Amino acid sequence: MLTRRDRIFLSACTLAVAGVLAAPHLCAQRPAPAAVASPAGLVLRTAASPATPEILLEPDARAWQGVPAQRVALNRTPPLYDTDPPAELEIRYVDVRLARASEKLLLHLTWKDPTQNAEGIAALPSTQPETRDRKEHTSATERFFDAAAVMFPERAAQNGVWPSLQMGDAAGPVLIYYWNAARGAMRMQAEGRGTTRRTGETFPARALYRAGAWQVTMELPDLPAGLPLSLAVWNGAQQDRDGRKYFSVWLRLE
Amino acid sequence: MSKHQYAMVMDLNKCLGCQTCTIACKKLWSDRDGTQHMYWNNVETRPGIGYPRQWDRIGGGWKDGQLQPSPLPTLDDYGAPWEYDYDQRLYEGKKKPVMPTPDPVSGPNWDEDVGALNGDENFYFYLLRICNHCTNPACLAACPRQAIYKRDEDGIVLLDQERCQGYRYCIAACPYKKIYFNEITGKSEKCIFCYPRLEKGEVNACAAQCPGRLRFVGLLDDPGSAVHRLVHVYKVALPLFPEKGTQPNVFYVPPFNPPRRTNYGQSILEDPRLPLEYLIYLFGAEVRDVIVRLEAELNRAQNGTQSEMLQLLIGRDAETRYQIPEPLVRIKMSIG
Repeated sequence: MLTRRDRIFLSACTLAVAGVLAAPHLCAQRPAPAAVASPAGLVLRTAASPATPEILLEPDARAWQGVPAQRVALNRTPPLYDTDPPAELEIRYVDVRLARASEKLLLHLTWKDPTQNAEGIAALPSTQPETRDRKEHTSATERFFDAAAVMFPERAAQNGVWPSLQMGDAAGPVLIYYWNAARGAMRMQAEGRGTTRRTGETFPARALYRAGAWQVTMELPDLPAGLPLSLAVWNGAQQDRDGRKYFSVWLRLE
Repeated sequence: MSKHQYAMVMDLNKCLGCQTCTIACKKLWSDRDGTQHMYWNNVETRPGIGYPRQWDRIGGGWKDGQLQPSPLPTLDDYGAPWEYDYDQRLYEGKKKPVMPTPDPVSGPNWDEDVGALNGDENFYFYLLRICNHCTNPACLAACPRQAIYKRDEDGIVLLDQERCQGYRYCIAACPYKKIYFNEITGKSEKCIFCYPRLEKGEVNACAAQCPGRLRFVGLLDDPGSAVHRLVHVYKVALPLFPEKGTQPNVFYVPPFNPPRRTNYGQSILEDPRLPLEYLIYLFGAEVRDVIVRLEAELNRAQNGTQSEMLQLLIGRDAETRYQIPEPLVRIKMSIG
């Protein structure tokens, strides 16, 4: 059964797909310049690159200059609780570049974010606390970090049906490649909302914060054309975490 | 609703503010990386700023069936942990006294024994706090990961460290701010009501170590338990902030003793040492009836009548204070 939040989310996404402006706190974005993926063409183009994946992992590598950027509109998830105030739509779009190189798919994301939330966190020491003079301290209890992710189906679509945009579903599990400004890159798997789990694996990803914008690269598997992808961005300054985030609709990989 | 419900009663008239419970808990459960700022059991001076600061005023809990918003406490609200420069002083020839780093600006029970004025007389008492293991836990409802669950066999509320992703909706939702974030593990933690001890027939560490013998532990639905008798039969123990809607299973015998030295022969309510309004703020309007009951029982005892209620509150031995049901112990022992 759909909860109230599900219904809001679905109607918000429907409106987003239809290219219609929804209520400001749900999906609102002004139609950005012409490069915004239009409802008729929700396609992400890829470019073959002569550069190696290692080079393309550098966010400011020259090799990216030859790869055209596509501007993808971002939507805001509705509040999780009825008593939460709606969040402002502070990040309206993400610029996406995709390059195929040496049987890898390299993803390059750029988005404006005037606040960099990327403070380092002490790693969990590998030795037992009782063997050390000093234990690591929690540095803050209320901060959240900037992050980005790409989600795609774990396996080919059944009868052409794509998984739910809400973290997949039981019939359509999804993989998520997630990068967090403080905690690094990690692979996740999900079969619907609330089921996301870390697989324990990491993947190559780099990030650069410059002039009020993040540039993040991720090395993805050689995903086939036709596969749907969805992008997400979290803004630490807005205490984003979990489903409290910016997201794109499903975009079809060319 | 769980099949059974463990509960704790704390008699605030008996608390010395010695923090032995706090240390017992800390050494047992939160002496790990990332946990220095968290005290699953804390003792705070009341009236006072509380731990974390202003926890009773910032939000959370239920109202009209809706979770109420709340900011997340900052590290300074808990009290940023500090370290002392023993090495420099003891081994590196530093001349000055041992100093803490960072400079302490706040901490748990920072306003110890400050209290407030009642007329021109100072008053304060100690409020001991653990997770309330609520019947209607706001933390459990707030978690989108279903990482928090309430055990059917004994009503203890636990936080699954495998499922937790550190989103902290639970911390915002808890009106008592009794869930803590460990940034090193990226997960939240809370009082576990010493369930591994209870499963072995041992009472909670905070209760076992209390020199004031002020804690009572048992099943609230066990008619023979001290907690059941104090809450439901004698009706002298109340939950904290009942209006928050979470139905706590930790209850307090409100502080009403000692009387003021000048009011011999007068009722505590006629000339109270602690303003009744403050106790009503903490425990609701019913606290007045509880104090009337307690005072009447005290008067009966002072007139030579045996009082079962007061004998129970004195709680001379562990058998009087704690009733850990054998079935719950045996079931778990067979697993473990």
